[in-house]
Amino acid sequence: MSARPRVLIVDDEERFRTTLRKLLTVREMEAADVGSAKDAFSEMEKNSYDVILLDVKMPEMNGIEALGRIKKEHPDVEVIILTGHASVDAAVEIMKLGGYEYLLKPCPIDELAGKIETAWERKIARAKRKTEGS
Amino acid sequence: MLTIPPSIVFKGYLFAVPALVLALSLPLFAFGGPVAAILAPIVSAVCYFTIRSLLSQISIVREEKCFLDEQLIQTQKLAAIGELSAGIAHEINNPLAIIAQEIEWARYQFDEERQTETSSAELKDSLNEIAVQVERCREITHKLLDFARKKDPLIQGVEINKLIEDMARLVEREATQKDIRIIRQYCGSLPPVHTDPPLLRQVILNLLNNATYAIGENGTIEIKTRILSGSFVELVVSDTGCGISKENLSKIFDPFFTTKPPGKGTGLGLSICHGIVVRLGGRFAVESELGKGTSFFVRIPIFYQSREVK
Repeated sequence: MSARPRVLIVDDEERFRTTLRKLLTVREMEAADVGSAKDAFSEMEKNSYDVILLDVKMPEMNGIEALGRIKKEHPDVEVIILTGHASVDAAVEIMKLGGYEYLLKPCPIDELAGKIETAWERKIARAKRKTEGS
Repeated sequence: MLTIPPSIVFKGYLFAVPALVLALSLPLFAFGGPVAAILAPIVSAVCYFTIRSLLSQISIVREEKCFLDEQLIQTQKLAAIGELSAGIAHEINNPLAIIAQEIEWARYQFDEERQTETSSAELKDSLNEIAVQVERCREITHKLLDFARKKDPLIQGVEINKLIEDMARLVEREATQKDIRIIRQYCGSLPPVHTDPPLLRQVILNLLNNATYAIGENGTIEIKTRILSGSFVELVVSDTGCGISKENLSKIFDPFFTTKPPGKGTGLGLSICHGIVVRLGGRFAVESELGKGTSFFVRIPIFYQSREVK
């Protein structure tokens, strides 16, 4: 288990994801970014991540579809949805699919960093429980 | 759909049917004796009151229908406002998110302990990005205002081919650099069209810009004009671009619908154009095949007739 959260930012707004990566890096997180769900899957094959920050409105595959696939292929990874447009239906769908949190853009960086920390802690706790159980 | 004939029709029945009964009873009165003479006014009266009762029921149904129609319109309006607000929220929240992060990053760089040449360059870059995102928000709000503004068109006689040509030349400069050729097929015998020239220019420019964007590089835009049934002129802008999928075709006139990458399009252009064409008394249509290209058809009346758009 890594000593700090490894975060993958998935957003088609290039400037959003690159600045967010820098902001998380200076908060001592290991952050990487990609511009589409497709790139996220190949990145997750190559490297391991604790928390995925996922945008909803993206070309080719939207965040909700991507969330379903991530939870299927990497059930231990926590996913935080970051979107510019919140709707109750989408929130329900995200929770059903196993999303950890649903945040509306613009989200203050301290709040987001806090959510990432708690998502990461949850992942650690789950891994611990698994080890103790086996 | 339930249609109720105008009340004047029923009011006509109210008097016509009893009168008919009375009129038919006249021969009976002459030959049938007193029984017919007594029965005829009674039947007439029954007819009168039955029709009157029917009339009042129809009036109640009519009122209920009006109420339901109003409710339906109100619900549709609320749904449209809801959809529009969601679109606005999404479009504005994205640049706001970038602005918020750039401010955070600038604050971090501004910290005196970290003042280096790199940090001052990063600071400048953050400020520039904030300006870019503010411009993006401004574009959205200004286009929204255009979208909401329902000015009455200012009608002037205009040579459509010349108006289109002016816009084509404007776009051609940029198009040529991308190996995009503009082919003109103007109808030579178009009469002057009475319309609002700046509004129509906005539509044509938007269509030509979209066509250029859809092609990207190396392709053809075809502009055609023709007369339709003597009262309309038609402008067709066709491109050999990427085309629009069937799924997206029904959404292209929806506000905020765009397939362009974030920050590259507000998704308001075509919906504004659609609004303009309708306001000018015209029609807007589109045909497209994915991978082959798209044609937009704009029909404008030769003589503009003011009409109330509800």
